[in-house]
Amino acid sequence: MSFSILAFRKKLPRKVEIGLGITGFLLFLLTWQLIAVSGAIRPEFLPTPVSVAEAFVRLFTERDFASDIVISVRRVWLAFLLSVAVAVPLGLLMSTYRAVGALLEPFVDFVRYLPVPALVPLLVIWFGVGEASKLAVLWMGTFFQLILLIADDTKRVPVEFIESGHTLGASNGQIMRDIIIPAALPNMVDNLRITLGWCWTYLIIAEIVAANSGIGHMIWSLRRFVKTPEVMAGIIAIGIIGLLTDQAFRYAHARWFKYLHR
Amino acid sequence: MQNFIEISDVSKTYWSEDGKTETKVVLPLSMTIAEGEMVMFLGPSGCGKTTLMRIIGGLETQDHGEIHLQGERLAGPDRRRGMVFQSYSSFPWLSVRDNIKFGTRYRKDISAQEKEEVTDHYMNMVGLTRYADFYTNRISGGMRQRVAIARTLASSPKVLLMDEPFGALDAQTREYLQLQLMDINAREKKTTVFVTHDVEEAILLASRIVIFSSRPARIVKEIRVDDLIPPESRRDGSLDMETFMALRADILKIIRAEYAHTLEDT
Repeated sequence: MSFSILAFRKKLPRKVEIGLGITGFLLFLLTWQLIAVSGAIRPEFLPTPVSVAEAFVRLFTERDFASDIVISVRRVWLAFLLSVAVAVPLGLLMSTYRAVGALLEPFVDFVRYLPVPALVPLLVIWFGVGEASKLAVLWMGTFFQLILLIADDTKRVPVEFIESGHTLGASNGQIMRDIIIPAALPNMVDNLRITLGWCWTYLIIAEIVAANSGIGHMIWSLRRFVKTPEVMAGIIAIGIIGLLTDQAFRYAHARWFKYLHR
Repeated sequence: MQNFIEISDVSKTYWSEDGKTETKVVLPLSMTIAEGEMVMFLGPSGCGKTTLMRIIGGLETQDHGEIHLQGERLAGPDRRRGMVFQSYSSFPWLSVRDNIKFGTRYRKDISAQEKEEVTDHYMNMVGLTRYADFYTNRISGGMRQRVAIARTLASSPKVLLMDEPFGALDAQTREYLQLQLMDINAREKKTTVFVTHDVEEAILLASRIVIFSSRPARIVKEIRVDDLIPPESRRDGSLDMETFMALRADILKIIRAEYAHTLEDT
């Protein structure tokens, strides 16, 4: 099959896309390796990829890193699901009933501009140093963004779909269930994927606050001993988990919404 | 023929966002539509014909006046008035068959088995049985409009409202669908209100043409096409072209005069 690698706004064969993705990673690793061995930066600050890979293995064999991963994944998913459970119904209501939108939008807009790290001391005062404050940080970081994204997704459902529903005899509730939600669902799932990514970015903030477990805590505690390879391995672990989750969402999107994927 | 739909003194005015400027869209207007009639609303762009049709469909609320269907006062949309829109309103997440079946979803007058039969009947009627399992975003615009027509018919409305349903299609597809609609109408005898800009389409499909003035809409002329050109001759193509062209010229003359008014107003 012939194709141009720089085809303008055209798809590439799947294998080529995967190959390019891997090449991107390899180029990054190569650049990193070259800079690290050049001696321009001291190894305490920039270890080589190989020493980070060794540290990665050490984390599992010497520090029970698997438990930290399980704890962090659980925190992220729990906070994310709590966010989804409240944001999805509220977002639907905001876009459906103007009164709910008018009531909530200004407040949601205000809160979503507040920097989450600045709220951490307050959340610790309110929820203590236990699990609740960590979940609250993650929840605050995602909920107020997600609610507006869901509201936008449902607002974008074409009015003809809704009017068709009315003239086919559907009640408002049936239009919500049978038309608005199915029409908005692909975009909603995309936004859930993006929001889950944000949850991971807030994890470190959540886990450096009086935590004694989790990937963030591990990274933060090793930082004190300038264990840069381990710190970088921890960060890379988050990247890998994020990438795998993202790919799982994309796969599910392609399976659930076949009509959008030619 | 008895009055099936009765429109009495219906008017509509739109207001600007700041509430200072009013635009009268429909002047107090009355008309009746008999059961089984195919009434075409014709008039200059923006004259208010679509607004009037949407009011009949319950998708817009009139400021004054009433609309009755079989003697019952109408308020808000329901299954008795099915609508086919100009833009594609078939649901992309459903197959052709499931889209048409969606039309039966809220019907309580037939069983689940009958819903399947109704779906197959209308899917066959619009010639889409071969494409039953295709998602509607993978079929052509003409096919999508056939899905929308079949879905609306499957819901068994008493009145079919069509808002320039073929407006976005190419000439050949439009002609094909016009013939198909004539065929469907001959079989279903469904009372239909059809908004169009296309004079030839109006003559071809209508039992009656209602020509509206430039905005605000008032009825300028009504033409009973069935009295001038028998519907059978339009269906089988044996119509007298001289009569057709003369009627077309008459209608165009009226519409051009109304367009001139529109241009003078702007």
